[in-house]
Amino acid sequence: METTPTIEDHDSSIVDIVPKSARGVLRQVRQSLDPVSVIVLVAIAIGIYNVIDWSQIRTLDFGIIIKFWRPLATAAGMTIGITAAALACGLVIGILLAILLELRIGFLRYVLNAYIEIWRNTPLIVQLFWVHFGLPMVTGISTTALQSGLLALTLQSSAYLADIARAGIQAVPKGQWDAAMALSLPARTKWIEVILPQALKIMIPPLGNLAVSFLNGSALLGVLSVGELMTISTRISDYTSKPIEIMTVVALLYLAINVATTYLTSRLERFAGAPR
Amino acid sequence: MTLIGISEVMRSLPELWVGLRFTLLLVFASLAIGSIIGLFVCLGRLLGRGLLVGLCATYTTIFRGIPEVVLMFWIYYCGPLLGGFRPSSLSAALVAMSLYVGALLSEIFRGGILAVPRGQAEAARSLGVPEFWVWTSVILPQAFRIVIPALIGVAALTVKVSGIASTIGVTELVFEANVTAGQSYRYFEMFTAVGVFYFLILFPMSMIAKGYERKLVKRRK
Repeated sequence: METTPTIEDHDSSIVDIVPKSARGVLRQVRQSLDPVSVIVLVAIAIGIYNVIDWSQIRTLDFGIIIKFWRPLATAAGMTIGITAAALACGLVIGILLAILLELRIGFLRYVLNAYIEIWRNTPLIVQLFWVHFGLPMVTGISTTALQSGLLALTLQSSAYLADIARAGIQAVPKGQWDAAMALSLPARTKWIEVILPQALKIMIPPLGNLAVSFLNGSALLGVLSVGELMTISTRISDYTSKPIEIMTVVALLYLAINVATTYLTSRLERFAGAPR
Repeated sequence: MTLIGISEVMRSLPELWVGLRFTLLLVFASLAIGSIIGLFVCLGRLLGRGLLVGLCATYTTIFRGIPEVVLMFWIYYCGPLLGGFRPSSLSAALVAMSLYVGALLSEIFRGGILAVPRGQAEAARSLGVPEFWVWTSVILPQAFRIVIPALIGVAALTVKVSGIASTIGVTELVFEANVTAGQSYRYFEMFTAVGVFYFLILFPMSMIAKGYERKLVKRRK
């Protein structure tokens, strides 16, 4: 029976495609072989078949990855480490900034807002160059690539996290603030035991998105040769002159890290319980 | 050598202007191509069946999950080896950015359409409004209003991502700044100037998005 396609019927993601029972499998197969899908897929397959140079494909040697798996794994670990470190520092700074903003001290607010807007509204690559090449000319302190990379990532993440933390703090129900005031809790107790734990829960989903975008952003550190995944992969592909194999695997590595991060965030969200 | 090299920055303004034009070209072109891709992927996910839905979801996951730098390098260095074509750095950057923007926009379009209350479409259908008009005059106008702030956000993100195209040698703003700064050795001034350029483009965008969002929230109350 033909029914009008409604939005709700087709709101499925990759996870929903996995069938649950044998009958489910049959239905899934029948649904999957929907004529429109098949036509589109065949068209795409023919397009790819014609574009690809098959003699090149035959010369691909993914064995090179096995030879270089150790540096690649270390570099992937470094990518995760750098991002995690930058986000952790950024989170602390961001929460402090958000609390300072909530205190509503006239002049300070303008300064903090300016700080946040400046780091949010310029590209990471400009910030990287600015920190790495620009700052040492003014301060006289020259930083290593790793230090400047970490610094730039931390500065930008602190601005984004200040915004997220501000939204999280403002989303804590007003009753909680009133209760803290009625109990005349000291400011420190109010923030650390009442407001922040609830705000942190609210912050988990945007934090996960930010983690993914900073994992992607950390690939830019390859421009400064920091020594993380992008640096190492360009180095290996220059050395072996097999860019396709290396780059494909590195792209898949990043994809895997990001998918894992998204998954962990949703698990963490469930673990922390629905806010409010 | 004076302490602050304003004159060097002023002297290299013509180069920066050329770079800015390439940046804007990249941004507008990839937004245009990306919104077409996003539209089709979003339609495939919402109205398609079976494998098509999975395919569209996979597209979004892949191109949101791979860093833009890696994507650009892949298309620029591996594209020629796999297919017979030899992309210029500009077209490679354009393809990579369009794919990325398409993935982002497909999610935003989908979110907007799903955010329109179900009753709206049902009411229109039960009044006997043809399916075409249900979409074009009930669902899409409301969805568009909801996604405007997110669309501005994507445009801003595209401006930021366009800076990455300098890594494969597109002569846009960051690239020109690198070259001119290398000549005069005024890295601090040059990158501050470029940062100001980007800020002047991006800050109004984020302010407009924020203001519009506030208006939407107020209207809902």
